[in-house]
Amino acid sequence: MAEDKAAASEQKQMEERSLSVFASEKKEDITALIIAFALALLVIITLK
Amino acid sequence: MNEEKRSPVTLIIGLILLAYALILRSQNASITPVGLVGLAEYLKTGRTIGTQISVGLWSGIVVTLIGLWNMAVPAMTSKFDKLVRAPMAGIGTIIALAFITRYYMEPIFKIWGKQAEPTLGFDMATIFGLNYILLGILLGIVWVNTIGIPDWMQAGVKTARLAMKMGVITLGAMYSITELKYLGGLSIIMVATFVMGTALFVLWLGKLAQAPRPLIGVLSAGLGVCGVSAAVAAAPVVKARGVDMAYSIGMLLLVGVVGLFVFPPVAKMVGMNELQFGAWAGTGILNSAQVAAAALIFDPDTIETLKVAEIFNITRILFLPFIVIMLAVWFAKGEEEAEKGKVNIGKVLIDKFPLFVLGFLIMFAFSSTGIFTPKGMELHGKNFYSFKVDEKKEVRTRDLKKISAFLETGAVTDPKVKAALEKLVADRQITSADQADLVLKAQDFTKQKDLKTAFKDADKLVQAKPATMEMMREYMMWFFAFGLIGLGMQITWQTLRQAGGKAAMIGVVTGITKAVLSFFVCWLLIKGSI
Repeated sequence: MAEDKAAASEQKQMEERSLSVFASEKKEDITALIIAFALALLVIITLK
Repeated sequence: MNEEKRSPVTLIIGLILLAYALILRSQNASITPVGLVGLAEYLKTGRTIGTQISVGLWSGIVVTLIGLWNMAVPAMTSKFDKLVRAPMAGIGTIIALAFITRYYMEPIFKIWGKQAEPTLGFDMATIFGLNYILLGILLGIVWVNTIGIPDWMQAGVKTARLAMKMGVITLGAMYSITELKYLGGLSIIMVATFVMGTALFVLWLGKLAQAPRPLIGVLSAGLGVCGVSAAVAAAPVVKARGVDMAYSIGMLLLVGVVGLFVFPPVAKMVGMNELQFGAWAGTGILNSAQVAAAALIFDPDTIETLKVAEIFNITRILFLPFIVIMLAVWFAKGEEEAEKGKVNIGKVLIDKFPLFVLGFLIMFAFSSTGIFTPKGMELHGKNFYSFKVDEKKEVRTRDLKKISAFLETGAVTDPKVKAALEKLVADRQITSADQADLVLKAQDFTKQKDLKTAFKDADKLVQAKPATMEMMREYMMWFFAFGLIGLGMQITWQTLRQAGGKAAMIGVVTGITKAVLSFFVCWLLIKGSI
């Protein structure tokens, strides 16, 4: 029983850890978009 | 804000990254390879030193500055603090681990794989996919289960998913719709059927087995498209946890390795020809490296089988964007169903379709317009070419003489190939993509190794490596390396023990079904040429 509880607690802890630093999924997506496209733009400007 | 937050750890990690880059830079200036540069020469990573220095310097500067800031002002209250300052120690550590994975672990395994090849009979690094993807996730697992994730790293580990998303968006730049026009009709139809069929089959089987949806999604992409890289691309789309990735990657590699050893003897037993086997391997074996290895095991003397297998493999990889869209819709629909019980597909698409997948598609569209390709270069198959007349692209006179003599023998019976070779002799270099294909095809008309090499060299001379694409690829690899180490850090032995059976069941059933079905299709339907 105690083992199950510990496992559940660890599982929860792991799931918590896998969460993002962002408040919402959308904010994380927008950040990813901005960074990726900014880098792409930088690559085109500097290397093409 | 308590005193332990005034930790120097971010600063220390920043200084380590900076020191690494500066040592590498100073040693790189030396005439004889010493220290880290000497090690890089041994590991055959010499050409990455420039990238290592710039990534080390830039990341080192940023992490060090944030580290100084964290020391000076320990209180973290703003959004910027939460999103940038707090995770920086973890981010710096994962960057350092990504350096170890990409520039030390992967090359070491490559060397060991080659060294053990005579004894084992195969290159274990290639066969078992011991590249930065697998090694990154393994390093993460070992780290969390030995060292653990200290408090100062927690926030950094939580940026892994962001990095994976940036990797997927950048991945869009690696595809171009124009590639499809070079592919044969049969390979497109066959691969489309198998890719979509397998992906849908896994979704159905996973539901039947009541497996977790993220695991089903990752396996669907991996088993349907091209193994590990497809699974990695699908991971953030279906919100895969580290443990889903670990099991999927393990399963995909295992199914691929079994296929690699089973396919060639079975094909020999039933008397498949090069075309049939190439098509079967390119459709039924999961990972790209394993496809190439199987084709070479089947037919080590010519490249005919390898060429066919690669055509099927490239076609399969091109379906990844469509699978990503399909999985995004499938996952969003499932979430909506779980929340509200009923689903309006149109509404789901607007509300839940992941924005970063849209970014991937936009990048794919941009790439298809040739925006990343410098003027005068074009993508043909999986290589870029530049056909601009240039002395540096000219075939050596010695080789041209050999080709002329070969043409005079009348061995080339295909008039198109003959015309292409005659044009090569006249122009001294290849001048179009079609001609490049025909010159490569000329290898089929000779058994002389030096002639075959001359044809391949003529093709290589007009191949180009656009700096833009190389840089985008570099970014993508860094994002994935970072993301996968972070994902690996979410996997404890306990979570591994808890969820394994279903991935194995889905992988084995799907792998066998796909191999058997594609075997019969290739064996019975493919006659003659593609």
